Amino acid sequence: MRKQIIPSIIILILAIVIAVGSQTFLSPCVHEDGSFATCHWAGQALLGLGCVLGVLGALALCVKRARPGVFLSALPVCILGILTPGTLIDLCRMSAMHCRMVMQPAMIILFSAALLCALTGAILSMRK
Amino acid sequence: MRSFSLTIKNLVRKPGRTTVLTLLTAFLALAVFGGSVVVFSLRRGLNSLEARLGADIILVPSEAQSKVSFQNMFLQGTTGAFYMDASVLDKALEVEGVEKAAPQTFLASLKADCCSIKIQVIGIDPERDFTVQPWIARSLTRGLGDMDVAVGCKVEADVGEIIRIYDQRCKVISRLEATGTGLDTAVYCSMDTMNALLAAAEDKGVSHKIESGDQLISAVYVKVKDGCDIDAVNSRLNGHIRKVTAVRTRSMLTGVSDSLAGVSRTVTVLIAAVWALAFLILLLVFALIVRERAREFAVLRLVGASRGMLARMVLLESALCGLLGGLLGVGLAALLLFPFAGLIESALNLPYLMPDTGIILLLAAGTVLLAVAVAALSSVTAAYRLSRVDPGTALREGN
Repeated sequence: MRKQIIPSIIILILAIVIAVGSQTFLSPCVHEDGSFATCHWAGQALLGLGCVLGVLGALALCVKRARPGVFLSALPVCILGILTPGTLIDLCRMSAMHCRMVMQPAMIILFSAALLCALTGAILSMRK
Repeated sequence: MRSFSLTIKNLVRKPGRTTVLTLLTAFLALAVFGGSVVVFSLRRGLNSLEARLGADIILVPSEAQSKVSFQNMFLQGTTGAFYMDASVLDKALEVEGVEKAAPQTFLASLKADCCSIKIQVIGIDPERDFTVQPWIARSLTRGLGDMDVAVGCKVEADVGEIIRIYDQRCKVISRLEATGTGLDTAVYCSMDTMNALLAAAEDKGVSHKIESGDQLISAVYVKVKDGCDIDAVNSRLNGHIRKVTAVRTRSMLTGVSDSLAGVSRTVTVLIAAVWALAFLILLLVFALIVRERAREFAVLRLVGASRGMLARMVLLESALCGLLGGLLGVGLAALLLFPFAGLIESALNLPYLMPDTGIILLLAAGTVLLAVAVAALSSVTAAYRLSRVDPGTALREGN
């Protein structure tokens, strides 16, 4: 029982970091004149994916019977999150920019960690 | 073999103790692997910068003499543009002791043109250039033609792609090797292309600060003849050419190498402190383990385990924790160092070029071996004491 709760708590925390981070310390680049950089839309998509992952994490925590399905549905969300910055949505075209230097690697690591947790959670909850 | 399976069982049955020992050695491994990769990267970056600055002296307009901003152009890729008349090149070649001289022209692009930010465009004279050209040539399959550009490895443009600089369509014909310096964020073109870009920039209202129509250059790279005193040539250049400042590249590099030495020293001291602290903690943990496990070892002695077998078991347990911790620490360090290399480079503000894969693998293997050795070493006393436990006393005293 406790073993299944731990992955859902970790997913919830990671989702909060992703959603808050995508608008703060892991945000896309901002031009000096306030205009949107190319990576702005990747940041918006990551905010959305972070929120969806958060809801799934909360569901996995609260709804015991739905756990296997919730963990499984978190998997494609995490894969989307890994692919969004740079592959599905363009980032700025300079490696030295914040979106490529900070946002992309951090998001890939956070979503990969969430993917591992979701996978572990799914296995543990299906084993029951 | 039996003692190995018993060791594994001991580790699995006491997850708390195993986790603490593993985490301690992981912390050690993280510090050593992370620190050594950073120091190696800084050294490689400095070597790369030295190789790129193949000139002994750089001539720049007096207005650009603030060495710091000039240095920043190399280290951080800060955009900058300053101009002087191209006749400076001929005047430099007249000076006694000058073996060869090559001009470069700088231009900062407008931010929206290709890369969301301003990028530095550097015009070179392929026939004269001896600093950038050898590096560019390694990645080029043909010479830089009209409106052709070669981009630094940090500019995300593919070969064959058209990028627009001041509304001029420039074709990317090559992406250059990484140097770990600000040169990686620049775009390189021939002087003809640069003249077209300067004209286009002027049409857009970007002033070049000297009379329009003149042939403009931004810097002249000077190689001094073998055997000549570089300082004397530097003084002659300063005296011979007006409104121009001659900067010795060594003075630029000295600042960088001093900073690098400072960072290396700090990292080394930190690694040593972490190791000393962790070694002491491990010794303490094993000293406590001796008390905790005296009865367990006494029972093992009673059922026929030899002293040597018990000592081997303790050493093997700690070595396995060291192995796990070493692998974990190296993995964690890799997770932080490799994806965030750009961030580290930008935070250190020094040339930073990751070592080759072979060296990284060697460092990782060395770190894991060191973690195993330190874990085993710190348990030697505990192994000796536990193997000498007197079963009768231990069982009578135990609670």
